[in-house]
Amino acid sequence: MSGNEIDIGLHVLDHQLLDKDGRRCGNVDDLAIEGGVGEVPEVVAILCGPGYWGQRAGWIGKLASRIGGGRKVTVPWSEVRKVDSAVELKRGATEIGLGRGDDGLRPYVDKIPGAGR
Amino acid sequence: MRTLSSFLRREVVTESGRSLGRCFDLRGELSATTLRVTGLCIGRRALLEHLGIRAQKPQAIIPWEAIVRIEGKRIIVRDDAPAP
Amino acid sequence: MNKVLGLALGIIAAIGGFVDIGDLVFNVAAGATFGYQLLWVIVVGLMGIIVYSEMCGRVAAVSGRAVFDAIRERVGFKGAVVALVSSEVVNLMTLAAELGGVAIALQLLSGLPYRWLIVFAVVAFAVVIWVTAFEWIERIFGFGGLCMLVFAVVAVKLGPDWGKVGAGFVPHIAHTNRMLYAYFVVGILGTAMTPYEVYFYSSGGIEDQWSPKDLGLNRANAILGYGLGGTLSFALMITGGALFLSHGISPQHLGTVALAAEQPLGQLGLLLALVGILFAVGAASIDTVFAGAYNLAQFCGWEWGRYRHPRGAPRFALTWLVLLVLALGILMTGVDPVALTEYAVLFSVVALPLTYVPILLVANDKAYMGRYVNGRIANGFGLLYLVVIGIVALAAIPLMILTNVGQN
Repeated sequence: MSGNEIDIGLHVLDHQLLDKDGRRCGNVDDLAIEGGVGEVPEVVAILCGPGYWGQRAGWIGKLASRIGGGRKVTVPWSEVRKVDSAVELKRGATEIGLGRGDDGLRPYVDKIPGAGR
Repeated sequence: MRTLSSFLRREVVTESGRSLGRCFDLRGELSATTLRVTGLCIGRRALLEHLGIRAQKPQAIIPWEAIVRIEGKRIIVRDDAPAP
Repeated sequence: MNKVLGLALGIIAAIGGFVDIGDLVFNVAAGATFGYQLLWVIVVGLMGIIVYSEMCGRVAAVSGRAVFDAIRERVGFKGAVVALVSSEVVNLMTLAAELGGVAIALQLLSGLPYRWLIVFAVVAFAVVIWVTAFEWIERIFGFGGLCMLVFAVVAVKLGPDWGKVGAGFVPHIAHTNRMLYAYFVVGILGTAMTPYEVYFYSSGGIEDQWSPKDLGLNRANAILGYGLGGTLSFALMITGGALFLSHGISPQHLGTVALAAEQPLGQLGLLLALVGILFAVGAASIDTVFAGAYNLAQFCGWEWGRYRHPRGAPRFALTWLVLLVLALGILMTGVDPVALTEYAVLFSVVALPLTYVPILLVANDKAYMGRYVNGRIANGFGLLYLVVIGIVALAAIPLMILTNVGQN
């Protein structure tokens, strides 16, 4: 394979998402592709969240999606800085709308002594 | 708008009905700002390829331009599409 | 100098933490039933975990991926969900078994009621893990676990027939009771190659920010840590063979195992054995609960890390807390931890291929590994163990049924 040719499923799908500070904020659960037959199709967005698991694996995926809460986040491809072993994003997770699970839980965790060290 | 996952494991068939295998991945071209889709990666049963064992075999890629239409469960390509 | 110290500490922690309740149960029982005839199986298992861990460590150092990242990326989403569910179920069973072992050790040391001690143990672990820096947890449990070395002394002091011991290292099939022998082969391999160790080791490598220059460290860790720790498994089997076989004792209780140390070494031996069991099984509990949290976090893409204080990785922290609570629930039903251990080990054997195959695949992928791809030796062993694991995974449940979980 030459320079910037990649197998999208192998090199992007299911990989870790990292924000500008290296914070883990989800996996690439699916990708949105725009442009059909006769056009030049492009990956326009990363789809992230348990809500997208249903379409990945039949009934197992749908069950997992429901247990996971069904949240969906769309990250425009323009937010991508670099595709390496992880997909690195340009901005912080909170600005893009990722990592909300951790952010939501943090206030409760903070209430218990010893959480911050 | 389609999802990447919707392409995976779909059967790829020529207009005249000959089956070329299953799509196990999409080939793309990554630039600083975009990720363009350039073709379909085809395999017979695509199970090994799905697991990532692809190194040895020459890549069987069908260029995107060869696609005629995308149906419910299949992808139809031109008869003269380069066959794997 | 610092690297050498770090390696030494790592090895000490590995020795002290190597033995878990599965090793205690299966190795002593195997000794009590078949004498020294199964020693060679421990060697096979040790080589397997060394090969497997080295590979996982290398994958972590070179590609920055832990085991479950690799599973999700390689096996596809459906396979990853199956792998996740099966590994979490097995992990939870193992966790409950380990915590039960801790409670039993506490009971033998203190005389307090078992049921109270289960609750105490779980709460204590929750507090300690939440509040304490992991480096300290590792040191305390590692050093405490070194008391397990008393079994090495015991094994020698019992004066076994060393000729027979040596013969036990040569692979052979038993003449009688073949089904039960096969059951123990599966069990010993299972307890040597427990999945949680690999999840923990590879995630730990990423937390320690291993890079390609740490590959030598990875190799040394794997070989020396598991190798030296594995000698304790030999000691346990030899003890079982030297002491229990002739008396027809079948060690159904951890107390029996500990009492083996009293025979040659008196009260001090018994005390050291109990303390060693407490800390070794305790260390295993911590590794297991983190392994369970790592897997879920890596599958979902959450932030994770045992070095990270809980507010840095809230969902990860909640996961290990929930796992502890679930394990507590399992133990409160009154299930016998030793019996639970046998089931946990056997089920983990069945699930072993699900984690092993993706690692072997990733370790061979040039795109991930560059020039650190598996060489011929690694692949030779890797494929050999793939076959071993496959056979053992298929044989586990039938043997469990046919031998009535080793009761015959």
